[in-house]
Amino acid sequence: MIGCYVTGVLPRSSKLIEKTRTYERGKISEKELEESFEKATESAIKAQISAGLNYITDGMLKWQDLFRPFTENLKGITVGSLTRWFNNNTFYRQPIITDYVEREKGVVNNMMQLEKLPKNLPWKAILPAPYTFVSLSENQYYKDEAEFMFKFAEIINEEIKSSAEIGFSYIQLSDPALVYEPLAPKFRKDKLALVNDVLETAVKGTSVKTCLQTFFGDFSKILPEALDFPVDHLGIDLYETDFEKLKEYSFEKGVALGLIDSRSSLVEEQDELVAAAKEIIESIYRSGMEEVFICPNCDLDFLPWERAEEKMKVISSVTKRLREEF
Amino acid sequence: MNKLFPTQEVGSLAKPRWRIKGYRGKPLSKEEIAEAVDWGRKLGIENLGELVKLLSKGDSAGRKSALLEWSAKYAIRFFETAGLDIVFDGEQWRSEMYEHVIRKTAGFKFLGYVKSFDYRYFNKAACIDKPKYAKSFYLDEFLFTKENTKKEIKVPFTGAYTLVDWTFNEYYEKKFSGKIRDFKRRKFEAKRDFLFDLIKEVIRPEISKLIDAGAKWIQIDEPAATTNPADEEMKLFVESFNETVKGFNCVFSLHNCYSNYEVLARHSCELRNCSQLSLEFANRDSRQTGTGNERTGYNSIKLFEEHSFQGNYGLGVVDVHTNFVEPPELVRDRILYVVEIIGDPSRIYVSTDCGLRTRTWEISFRKLKNMVLGAELARKALE
Repeated sequence: MIGCYVTGVLPRSSKLIEKTRTYERGKISEKELEESFEKATESAIKAQISAGLNYITDGMLKWQDLFRPFTENLKGITVGSLTRWFNNNTFYRQPIITDYVEREKGVVNNMMQLEKLPKNLPWKAILPAPYTFVSLSENQYYKDEAEFMFKFAEIINEEIKSSAEIGFSYIQLSDPALVYEPLAPKFRKDKLALVNDVLETAVKGTSVKTCLQTFFGDFSKILPEALDFPVDHLGIDLYETDFEKLKEYSFEKGVALGLIDSRSSLVEEQDELVAAAKEIIESIYRSGMEEVFICPNCDLDFLPWERAEEKMKVISSVTKRLREEF
Repeated sequence: MNKLFPTQEVGSLAKPRWRIKGYRGKPLSKEEIAEAVDWGRKLGIENLGELVKLLSKGDSAGRKSALLEWSAKYAIRFFETAGLDIVFDGEQWRSEMYEHVIRKTAGFKFLGYVKSFDYRYFNKAACIDKPKYAKSFYLDEFLFTKENTKKEIKVPFTGAYTLVDWTFNEYYEKKFSGKIRDFKRRKFEAKRDFLFDLIKEVIRPEISKLIDAGAKWIQIDEPAATTNPADEEMKLFVESFNETVKGFNCVFSLHNCYSNYEVLARHSCELRNCSQLSLEFANRDSRQTGTGNERTGYNSIKLFEEHSFQGNYGLGVVDVHTNFVEPPELVRDRILYVVEIIGDPSRIYVSTDCGLRTRTWEISFRKLKNMVLGAELARKALE
């Protein structure tokens, strides 16, 4: 089966951007801003449906960064200073861990515009993976980083369960930090074993499909260990990953191929994408094909809305063409 | 410069309200005109009556360029009056560092706003054709500054690497499409071609004009220098700097701030013809006076020394992100602490962390005056 979806925050439309700016200048009320977000969310959902994506997100337009709902709502964490988001010209607010971290109420459910999601299509939610959250936080409380990572994994586990309860059937855990910097050879094995156990905690007892989405780095760096991670699918940024190295491995797990470049405004040639995907699929599935998703390599909000919309259409038509091939 | 610890700023200064509103053709309130007059008197600007007349009138032919000249004159005088040794015009002729250059260069198209953080965005362009020099973007501003000051001039110049890093690269990515199979390699090669075409077609021609017009010192601004700390990217950045300045008879310096200095330091000695690294430290430092453990923000200078950077330092001793006015004694101690580390005091130029554009003129003026006083205290301490 070959499907498609987005892998992160969608861009705000120029109209919504203008509203957020006038709100910042104190010229419109919170209520008016809220209404603009609702309208834009409707359009973001509609765009995914009409492009023909198979899982629908609510667009995550309100998420100021991947961590913010957690940074703002978990006990024991405060919102820190602006920090560069990997190698991008964008910034996130660093979570500062000042106390024992606790989840007193649901975090992302309150962020989701559930009533706007379609009844006839499956829903996808996107959460930060424990490794990335912990690596990019400033930990002033936990003596042992692994302890904090397991604690955060428990919180993610509760979030996944409550998301499943309200109707989400697919959960992506975003884990850019895992592939961004090369793991020191000395610690590599232990670190990947830890990530494996942490993911085990995060998905334990859940019934939804899960994907560990990596981006901003070369996925082949965490092979072959990642093939055993306790998730259904593995997400790969093809604009950062060495094709040849990737093709050396045999997969018995589904993949989400980041075939569209969210960090480039150039709309890709479909023939070329189809050829690249075909080559990878044929190489990595030697003993039978698993589920494959075609997706953007990372959040589409690096682009203006119009370009993101065009790229969603490309994702969908490339997916259709690949279905004919396999 | 003959004296120790010459003082400089980095580039931008806030634009006064009368300049912004006046330039947009909006009517000015009495208070705004009074503000212009107050500052004019404080800075000893001549013919203030003419400015008042210009500001009181509605839109007219030549009003815009006249206003640019007035605000540049104010900014130059602002820095002179604060006592700086090296000046420019506070970048009063530029909308900001990125758009100003891109809008005046052929081959680009603005695609719209993309996210920076929270509710902040920036207008991002795409390169859609080979970049071509269309009109000069810094020359007239430099000529005006030169005419209006007797002080040494340092021209801030947005670097090619930053312009490329902040721009979508459609033209070159398309050019390589189908030619290199590996997407990552393709993107990198496309970036490289974009970068060196921009340097050759646009950046170097402008530098050449500036030098012909008498520019003696150009500061290359590269805030994006360490955005991508991968070795390959840092090498590309260094190569771009070296290619930019190659063969010119002019002093060049590099300004970089709010970045990863561990990464920059590793590559600093590979920069050719870079007489000064202008860096931000005050933002990382404590506010207590002293030349000991208080100076946490200045330890990263050791990284550059360890990697044998031989040039001078534009030492950021004034934080441009707070209204806290650094006392002269704090400025002095920051300088003396670094003298202790690097040994040779003649390698230090006393500077702000970055451009002052986010501060009011009142705060900026007080900060700069204290910076000048602090440099004097440091000189005395070494006598």
